[in-house]
Amino acid sequence: MDREAEFSRLYEAHRVAVHAYLVGRTADRQSAADLLQDVFLRVWQHMESVSGMPDDQQRAWVFTVARNLSVDAHRQSLALAGTVAALAREPASQPPPASAMVLAAERVAVVGEAIRRLPEQERVTLTMAAAGEMTSAQIGAALGVPAGTVRYRLSMARHALAEALDTYDFPREKQ
Amino acid sequence: MSLDDDIAAWAATVRLDDADAATIFQRIVATPAPLAPVSAPRLDPSWWQRYTADFTARMISSTRPVRMAAA
Repeated sequence: MDREAEFSRLYEAHRVAVHAYLVGRTADRQSAADLLQDVFLRVWQHMESVSGMPDDQQRAWVFTVARNLSVDAHRQSLALAGTVAALAREPASQPPPASAMVLAAERVAVVGEAIRRLPEQERVTLTMAAAGEMTSAQIGAALGVPAGTVRYRLSMARHALAEALDTYDFPREKQ
Repeated sequence: MSLDDDIAAWAATVRLDDADAATIFQRIVATPAPLAPVSAPRLDPSWWQRYTADFTARMISSTRPVRMAAA
């Protein structure tokens, strides 16, 4: 198999899971996409060594790179955190119109915000399960933790999300 | 709407679509692959064995007159 074909196989095998992992780490879709490119650029540059590895080692190698790059990116973004937090506190200039589509989008935003507030391990696990459509066993293998730990983290995350949505729903029902 | 539906709706907004994934793939494979490391010219190991043996022999023979004088 030539270099590009082998890289394509690796990319297709891992891109969804790695992107979901990076969304969990960064809590941002676009940052995750940028990091995904960086991760697989490393894979491309190290194809000679990566292609000779067994599948589980390849996955571990890719996720180690993803973790390291997300840590680097997090350090770089710390300098901007104050500005971003200040912008997030800015009130919306106009109240959104109450159409069904906007309400649905608002509900997704509430879920997204609740997921962003989860502890990182729970956020990463939930994102890999939801956006990556991975099983507990697959997530456990990628993160190096038992599947039972993954299920526990998922349970905690779902509990926190349910609470967040309850506080969102109840004021609306009282109106 | 169930919690699963809520999570699925959110997941759909953050998932990388196939077009973006293909764009990233094309960008990466357009990057030149790193050149294979060029092996530097090196001496045969037997040359070093001969060199070391010769050097040791010279050291021993050079100190022999001193040892004989001291005896």
